[in-house]
Amino acid sequence: MDNDYFSIDAILAENQKIQCTFKVDIPDMGHLAGGSDRDIKSLTKAPIPIWLAYIMLFSDWADFTIPSPFGTRVRNALKAEPRSVKLSNLVGAGGLWYGFGKMVMDILSEEQANGISEMLTKAFKGRLLEVIDQAQHFAALGPAGGGGPSTDTAQSFREGLDGTERELFALAQESAKRMKRWHEGNDKARR
Amino acid sequence: MALPQSLRTSVTPLELELIASEQLVEIVPLITMEKTAFISGAYGPLRPPAKCRIPLWMATNLKLKKKCHIVPPEWLSVDFLQERLTRETSRPEFSKLPFRFAEIAKVILDVASDDVQNADKIKSLLKDLREARQAKSRDGLQKLDHSELSLPNLCSMEINEIRPFFIQSMGILTQLVREPSAE
Repeated sequence: MDNDYFSIDAILAENQKIQCTFKVDIPDMGHLAGGSDRDIKSLTKAPIPIWLAYIMLFSDWADFTIPSPFGTRVRNALKAEPRSVKLSNLVGAGGLWYGFGKMVMDILSEEQANGISEMLTKAFKGRLLEVIDQAQHFAALGPAGGGGPSTDTAQSFREGLDGTERELFALAQESAKRMKRWHEGNDKARR
Repeated sequence: MALPQSLRTSVTPLELELIASEQLVEIVPLITMEKTAFISGAYGPLRPPAKCRIPLWMATNLKLKKKCHIVPPEWLSVDFLQERLTRETSRPEFSKLPFRFAEIAKVILDVASDDVQNADKIKSLLKDLREARQAKSRDGLQKLDHSELSLPNLCSMEINEIRPFFIQSMGILTQLVREPSAE
Protein backbone atom coordinates (compact mmCIF):
# COMPACT_ATOMS: atom_id res chain seq x y z
CA MET A 1 0.00 0.00 0.00
CA ASP A 2 2.72 2.47 0.89
CA ASN A 3 5.22 3.53 -1.70
CA ASP A 4 8.12 2.06 0.15
CA TYR A 5 10.89 0.77 -2.11
CA PHE A 6 11.01 -2.57 -0.32
CA SER A 7 7.26 -3.09 -0.04
CA ILE A 8 6.25 -6.23 -1.90
CA ASP A 9 2.66 -5.02 -1.99
CA ALA A 10 3.69 -1.83 -3.72
CA ILE A 11 5.65 -3.79 -6.32
CA LEU A 12 2.70 -6.08 -6.98
CA ALA A 13 0.31 -3.17 -7.27
CA GLU A 14 2.68 -1.43 -9.70
CA ASN A 15 2.45 -4.42 -11.99
CA GLN A 16 -1.15 -3.60 -12.88
CA LYS A 17 -1.59 -2.24 -16.38
CA ILE A 18 -3.31 0.95 -17.41
CA GLN A 19 -4.51 1.89 -20.84
CA CYS A 20 -2.26 4.52 -22.38
CA THR A 21 -2.55 6.46 -25.61
CA PHE A 22 0.76 7.50 -27.10
CA LYS A 23 1.09 11.12 -28.09
CA VAL A 24 4.34 10.79 -30.01
CA ASP A 25 5.94 8.31 -32.37
CA ILE A 26 8.40 6.03 -30.71
CA PRO A 27 10.69 4.42 -33.26
CA ASP A 28 11.91 0.82 -33.05
CA MET A 29 9.87 -0.01 -29.99
CA GLY A 30 6.93 -1.71 -31.70
CA HIS A 31 7.71 -5.07 -30.11
CA LEU A 32 6.91 -3.67 -26.69
CA ALA A 33 3.32 -3.01 -27.68
CA GLY A 34 3.04 -6.63 -28.74
CA GLY A 35 2.35 -5.90 -32.41
CA SER A 36 4.41 -6.69 -35.42
CA ASP A 37 4.90 -3.06 -36.34
CA ARG A 38 8.36 -1.66 -36.18
CA ASP A 39 7.48 1.65 -34.57
CA ILE A 40 4.88 2.75 -32.05
CA LYS A 41 2.80 5.37 -33.85
CA SER A 42 1.19 8.22 -32.02
CA LEU A 43 -2.43 7.60 -30.99
CA THR A 44 -1.71 3.91 -30.59
CA LYS A 45 -3.33 2.47 -27.50
CA ALA A 46 -1.49 -0.01 -25.38
CA PRO A 47 -1.77 -1.34 -21.83
CA ILE A 48 1.31 -0.25 -19.93
CA PRO A 49 2.28 -1.38 -16.42
CA ILE A 50 2.18 1.46 -13.93
CA TRP A 51 5.89 1.39 -13.15
CA LEU A 52 6.59 2.18 -16.79
CA ALA A 53 3.65 4.53 -17.18
CA TYR A 54 4.99 7.02 -14.63
CA ILE A 55 7.88 8.18 -16.78
CA MET A 56 5.83 8.21 -19.97
CA LEU A 57 3.08 10.31 -18.42
CA PHE A 58 5.39 12.76 -16.73
CA SER A 59 7.44 13.19 -19.91
CA ASP A 60 4.19 13.87 -21.74
CA TRP A 61 4.69 11.02 -24.23
CA ALA A 62 1.34 9.48 -23.47
CA ASP A 63 -2.07 9.98 -21.90
CA PHE A 64 -3.96 7.45 -19.90
CA THR A 65 -7.56 6.66 -19.20
CA ILE A 66 -8.72 5.84 -15.70
CA PRO A 67 -8.64 2.04 -15.55
CA SER A 68 -11.97 0.26 -15.47
CA PRO A 69 -11.69 -1.00 -11.86
CA PHE A 70 -12.10 2.65 -10.89
CA GLY A 71 -14.48 3.66 -13.67
CA THR A 72 -18.01 4.96 -13.43
CA ARG A 73 -19.60 1.52 -13.45
CA VAL A 74 -17.70 0.33 -10.41
CA ARG A 75 -18.11 3.67 -8.73
CA ASN A 76 -21.88 3.51 -9.06
CA ALA A 77 -21.94 -0.08 -7.85
CA LEU A 78 -19.91 0.90 -4.80
CA LYS A 79 -22.16 3.83 -4.13
CA ALA A 80 -25.18 1.55 -4.17
CA GLU A 81 -23.75 -1.09 -1.85
CA PRO A 82 -20.03 -1.35 -1.14
CA ARG A 83 -20.36 -4.86 0.22
CA SER A 84 -21.79 -6.36 -2.94
CA VAL A 85 -18.84 -5.48 -5.19
CA LYS A 86 -16.26 -8.18 -5.73
CA LEU A 87 -13.04 -6.22 -5.56
CA SER A 88 -10.85 -9.25 -6.20
CA ASN A 89 -12.49 -9.78 -9.59
CA LEU A 90 -11.61 -6.26 -10.64
CA VAL A 91 -7.88 -6.62 -10.31
CA GLY A 92 -7.23 -10.33 -10.75
CA ALA A 93 -6.24 -13.01 -8.28
CA GLY A 94 -4.49 -11.74 -5.16
CA GLY A 95 -4.95 -8.27 -6.57
CA LEU A 96 -4.61 -5.17 -4.50
CA TRP A 97 -7.49 -2.95 -5.49
CA TYR A 98 -6.70 -0.34 -2.86
CA GLY A 99 -3.00 -0.36 -3.67
CA PHE A 100 -3.70 0.03 -7.36
CA GLY A 101 -6.19 2.77 -6.64
CA LYS A 102 -3.66 4.60 -4.53
CA MET A 103 -1.15 4.50 -7.40
CA VAL A 104 -3.70 5.80 -9.89
CA MET A 105 -4.69 8.47 -7.43
CA ASP A 106 -1.10 9.65 -7.14
CA ILE A 107 -0.78 10.17 -10.88
CA LEU A 108 -4.02 12.04 -11.31
CA SER A 109 -4.62 15.74 -10.97
CA GLU A 110 -6.04 17.21 -7.79
CA GLU A 111 -9.74 17.06 -8.58
CA GLN A 112 -9.83 13.57 -10.03
CA ALA A 113 -7.56 12.29 -7.30
CA ASN A 114 -9.95 13.57 -4.66
CA GLY A 115 -12.75 11.72 -6.40
CA ILE A 116 -10.81 8.46 -6.37
CA SER A 117 -9.72 8.99 -2.80
CA GLU A 118 -13.30 9.49 -1.74
CA MET A 119 -14.38 6.35 -3.55
CA LEU A 120 -11.59 4.26 -2.00
CA THR A 121 -12.20 5.58 1.50
CA LYS A 122 -15.95 5.07 1.34
CA ALA A 123 -15.57 1.60 -0.06
CA PHE A 124 -13.05 0.67 2.61
CA LYS A 125 -15.13 1.99 5.47
CA GLY A 126 -18.28 0.46 4.09
CA ARG A 127 -16.71 -2.97 3.85
CA LEU A 128 -14.54 -2.93 6.95
CA LEU A 129 -17.24 -3.83 9.43
CA GLU A 130 -18.35 -6.82 7.40
CA VAL A 131 -14.74 -8.01 7.06
CA ILE A 132 -14.18 -7.89 10.82
CA ASP A 133 -17.58 -9.39 11.63
CA GLN A 134 -16.96 -12.35 9.42
CA ALA A 135 -13.43 -12.79 10.71
CA GLN A 136 -14.71 -12.93 14.28
CA HIS A 137 -17.51 -15.23 13.29
CA PHE A 138 -15.05 -17.67 11.77
CA ALA A 139 -12.76 -17.43 14.75
CA ALA A 140 -15.67 -18.32 17.02
CA LEU A 141 -16.51 -21.39 14.97
CA GLY A 142 -13.21 -23.00 15.89
CA PRO A 143 -11.25 -25.49 13.83
CA ALA A 144 -14.09 -27.98 13.39
CA GLY A 145 -16.77 -25.63 12.14
CA GLY A 146 -14.94 -24.30 9.10
CA GLY A 147 -17.40 -25.63 6.56
CA GLY A 148 -20.57 -24.71 8.36
CA PRO A 149 -23.63 -23.63 6.46
CA SER A 150 -22.90 -20.07 5.44
CA THR A 151 -25.24 -17.89 3.50
CA ASP A 152 -24.52 -17.11 -0.11
CA THR A 153 -24.02 -13.40 0.38
CA ALA A 154 -21.43 -13.91 3.09
CA GLN A 155 -19.64 -16.47 0.98
CA SER A 156 -19.50 -14.29 -2.09
CA PHE A 157 -18.40 -11.31 -0.02
CA ARG A 158 -15.46 -13.32 1.25
CA GLU A 159 -14.53 -14.35 -2.26
CA GLY A 160 -14.58 -10.72 -3.29
CA LEU A 161 -12.11 -9.49 -0.68
CA ASP A 162 -9.06 -7.81 -2.11
CA GLY A 163 -5.54 -8.56 -0.85
CA THR A 164 -5.52 -5.74 1.68
CA GLU A 165 -8.80 -6.83 3.18
CA ARG A 166 -7.68 -10.43 3.33
CA GLU A 167 -4.78 -9.37 5.49
CA LEU A 168 -7.15 -7.55 7.82
CA PHE A 169 -9.41 -10.57 7.93
CA ALA A 170 -6.51 -12.77 8.98
CA LEU A 171 -5.40 -10.32 11.66
CA ALA A 172 -8.85 -10.01 13.18
CA GLN A 173 -9.43 -13.74 13.07
CA GLU A 174 -6.11 -14.52 14.73
CA SER A 175 -6.74 -11.98 17.46
CA ALA A 176 -10.24 -13.26 18.18
CA LYS A 177 -8.99 -16.84 18.26
CA ARG A 178 -6.29 -15.98 20.72
CA MET A 179 -8.79 -14.31 23.04
CA LYS A 180 -11.13 -17.25 22.79
CA ARG A 181 -8.35 -19.66 23.66
CA TRP A 182 -7.39 -17.58 26.66
CA HIS A 183 -10.91 -17.19 27.93
CA GLU A 184 -11.74 -20.83 27.63
CA GLY A 185 -8.53 -22.30 28.91
CA ASN A 186 -8.32 -23.07 32.59
CA ASP A 187 -4.62 -23.40 33.17
CA LYS A 188 -4.47 -24.35 36.79
CA ALA A 189 -1.93 -26.96 35.92
CA ARG A 190 0.43 -24.37 34.50
CA ARG A 191 0.82 -22.47 37.71
CA MET B 1 12.62 -9.72 12.97
CA ALA B 2 12.98 -13.10 14.54
CA LEU B 3 9.64 -13.02 16.33
CA PRO B 4 7.00 -15.36 14.95
CA GLN B 5 4.25 -13.64 12.99
CA SER B 6 1.66 -14.14 15.69
CA LEU B 7 3.69 -12.23 18.28
CA ARG B 8 4.52 -9.22 16.12
CA THR B 9 1.11 -7.59 16.06
CA SER B 10 0.45 -7.39 19.78
CA VAL B 11 1.23 -8.98 23.10
CA THR B 12 -0.55 -12.21 23.95
CA PRO B 13 -3.31 -12.51 26.55
CA LEU B 14 -0.95 -14.62 28.64
CA GLU B 15 1.60 -11.84 28.74
CA LEU B 16 -1.07 -9.42 29.89
CA GLU B 17 -2.05 -11.89 32.56
CA LEU B 18 1.55 -11.96 33.70
CA ILE B 19 1.64 -8.17 33.93
CA ALA B 20 -1.64 -8.11 35.82
CA SER B 21 -0.25 -10.62 38.30
CA GLU B 22 1.91 -7.85 39.74
CA GLN B 23 -1.17 -6.16 41.17
CA LEU B 24 -1.84 -6.46 44.85
CA VAL B 25 -4.72 -8.48 46.25
CA GLU B 26 -5.86 -9.13 49.79
CA ILE B 27 -5.46 -12.54 51.28
CA VAL B 28 -6.18 -14.23 54.54
CA PRO B 29 -3.04 -16.29 55.16
CA LEU B 30 -3.19 -19.70 56.77
CA ILE B 31 0.54 -19.80 57.47
CA THR B 32 2.98 -17.52 59.23
CA MET B 33 5.75 -15.92 57.23
CA GLU B 34 8.18 -13.17 58.05
CA LYS B 35 8.39 -10.07 55.88
CA THR B 36 10.24 -11.20 52.79
CA ALA B 37 12.00 -9.16 50.14
CA PHE B 38 11.27 -9.84 46.46
CA ILE B 39 12.50 -8.02 43.38
CA SER B 40 9.26 -6.03 43.14
CA GLY B 41 9.23 -5.16 46.85
CA ALA B 42 8.92 -6.56 50.34
CA TYR B 43 5.68 -8.29 51.29
CA GLY B 44 4.41 -9.62 54.56
CA PRO B 45 4.62 -10.43 57.31
CA LEU B 46 1.85 -13.01 57.15
CA ARG B 47 0.15 -13.51 60.51
CA PRO B 48 -3.10 -15.44 60.38
CA PRO B 49 -5.84 -14.42 60.64
CA ALA B 50 -4.82 -10.83 59.81
CA LYS B 51 -5.40 -9.80 56.20
CA CYS B 52 -2.42 -8.92 54.09
CA ARG B 53 -1.82 -7.40 50.65
CA ILE B 54 0.50 -9.34 48.36
CA PRO B 55 0.90 -9.58 44.58
CA LEU B 56 -1.52 -11.75 42.70
CA TRP B 57 1.18 -14.17 41.54
CA MET B 58 2.18 -14.87 45.11
CA ALA B 59 -1.43 -15.22 46.20
CA THR B 60 -2.02 -17.71 43.39
CA ASN B 61 1.00 -19.69 44.45
CA LEU B 62 -0.02 -19.80 48.11
CA LYS B 63 -3.62 -20.56 47.24
CA LEU B 64 -2.65 -23.56 45.16
CA LYS B 65 -0.68 -24.87 48.14
CA LYS B 66 -3.77 -24.23 50.28
CA LYS B 67 -1.89 -21.73 52.40
CA CYS B 68 -4.24 -18.79 52.05
CA HIS B 69 -7.70 -17.62 51.06
CA ILE B 70 -7.94 -14.88 48.47
CA VAL B 71 -10.29 -12.02 49.35
CA PRO B 72 -11.84 -11.01 46.04
CA PRO B 73 -11.61 -7.29 45.24
CA GLU B 74 -14.85 -5.41 45.86
CA TRP B 75 -15.56 -5.08 42.14
CA LEU B 76 -15.59 -8.84 41.75
CA SER B 77 -19.06 -9.25 43.17
CA VAL B 78 -22.47 -9.89 41.73
CA ASP B 79 -23.85 -6.52 42.84
CA PHE B 80 -21.08 -4.43 41.35
CA LEU B 81 -20.95 -6.30 38.06
CA GLN B 82 -24.72 -6.36 37.73
CA GLU B 83 -24.80 -2.60 38.17
CA ARG B 84 -22.06 -2.13 35.58
CA LEU B 85 -23.81 -4.43 33.15
CA THR B 86 -27.02 -2.44 33.45
CA ARG B 87 -25.10 0.74 32.86
CA GLU B 88 -23.21 -0.83 29.96
CA THR B 89 -26.36 -1.85 28.17
CA SER B 90 -28.29 1.34 28.80
CA ARG B 91 -25.67 3.96 27.92
CA PRO B 92 -23.68 4.47 24.76
CA GLU B 93 -20.25 4.94 26.36
CA PHE B 94 -18.04 2.35 28.02
CA SER B 95 -18.50 2.20 31.76
CA LYS B 96 -15.54 2.48 34.06
CA LEU B 97 -13.95 -0.74 35.19
CA PRO B 98 -10.52 -1.55 36.64
CA PHE B 99 -8.02 -1.44 33.77
CA ARG B 100 -6.96 -5.07 34.13
CA PHE B 101 -10.23 -6.50 35.40
CA ALA B 102 -10.46 -9.26 32.81
CA GLU B 103 -7.08 -10.75 33.67
CA ILE B 104 -7.46 -10.48 37.43
CA ALA B 105 -11.00 -11.86 37.41
CA LYS B 106 -9.92 -14.83 35.33
CA VAL B 107 -6.93 -15.68 37.51
CA ILE B 108 -8.93 -15.43 40.72
CA LEU B 109 -11.84 -17.42 39.33
CA ASP B 110 -9.47 -20.04 37.98
CA VAL B 111 -7.54 -20.73 41.14
CA ALA B 112 -9.81 -19.53 43.92
CA SER B 113 -13.40 -19.91 42.80
CA ASP B 114 -14.20 -21.36 46.23
CA ASP B 115 -13.25 -18.04 47.83
CA VAL B 116 -15.62 -16.08 45.60
CA GLN B 117 -19.31 -15.98 46.37
CA ASN B 118 -21.56 -16.90 43.45
CA ALA B 119 -18.60 -17.67 41.20
CA ASP B 120 -20.80 -19.03 38.44
CA LYS B 121 -23.06 -16.01 38.43
CA ILE B 122 -20.01 -13.75 38.31
CA LYS B 123 -18.58 -15.71 35.41
CA SER B 124 -21.72 -15.29 33.38
CA LEU B 125 -21.94 -11.60 34.29
CA LEU B 126 -18.36 -11.08 33.14
CA LYS B 127 -19.17 -12.80 29.88
CA ASP B 128 -22.23 -10.60 29.32
CA LEU B 129 -20.20 -7.55 30.15
CA ARG B 130 -17.53 -8.56 27.68
CA GLU B 131 -20.07 -9.10 24.92
CA ALA B 132 -21.80 -5.79 25.56
CA ARG B 133 -18.48 -4.00 25.36
CA GLN B 134 -17.45 -5.88 22.25
CA ALA B 135 -20.60 -4.71 20.53
CA LYS B 136 -19.62 -1.15 21.37
CA SER B 137 -16.11 -1.42 20.03
CA ARG B 138 -17.64 -2.88 16.88
CA ASP B 139 -19.71 0.28 16.56
CA GLY B 140 -16.55 2.27 17.08
CA LEU B 141 -15.04 0.55 14.06
CA GLN B 142 -17.76 2.08 11.94
CA LYS B 143 -16.69 5.56 12.91
CA LEU B 144 -13.02 4.81 12.43
CA ASP B 145 -10.94 7.79 11.51
CA HIS B 146 -7.51 7.72 9.95
CA SER B 147 -5.80 10.07 12.34
CA GLU B 148 -7.11 9.54 15.83
CA LEU B 149 -8.81 7.04 18.04
CA SER B 150 -9.72 7.54 21.65
CA LEU B 151 -10.46 4.62 23.89
CA PRO B 152 -11.97 5.95 27.09
CA ASN B 153 -12.48 3.30 29.76
CA LEU B 154 -11.39 0.49 27.50
CA CYS B 155 -9.51 -2.21 29.35
CA SER B 156 -6.13 -3.67 28.57
CA MET B 157 -7.48 -6.96 27.31
CA GLU B 158 -9.98 -5.27 25.01
CA ILE B 159 -7.42 -2.86 23.64
CA ASN B 160 -5.14 -5.77 22.99
CA GLU B 161 -7.85 -7.65 21.14
CA ILE B 162 -8.72 -4.86 18.75
CA ARG B 163 -5.20 -3.51 18.36
CA PRO B 164 -3.97 -5.49 15.32
CA PHE B 165 -6.79 -4.76 12.94
CA PHE B 166 -7.56 -1.25 14.18
CA ILE B 167 -3.97 -0.23 13.56
CA GLN B 168 -3.88 -1.90 10.17
CA SER B 169 -7.13 -0.32 9.02
CA MET B 170 -6.08 3.10 10.24
CA GLY B 171 -2.84 2.68 8.33
CA ILE B 172 -4.75 1.84 5.17
CA LEU B 173 -7.08 4.78 5.63
CA THR B 174 -4.12 7.09 6.04
CA GLN B 175 -2.94 5.97 2.63
CA LEU B 176 -6.33 6.39 1.01
CA VAL B 177 -7.40 9.73 2.43
CA ARG B 178 -6.11 12.81 0.66
CA GLU B 179 -5.71 15.81 2.86
CA PRO B 180 -7.33 18.82 1.19
CA SER B 181 -4.36 20.93 2.21
CA ALA B 182 -1.83 18.73 0.39
CA GLU B 183 -0.16 20.47 -2.54
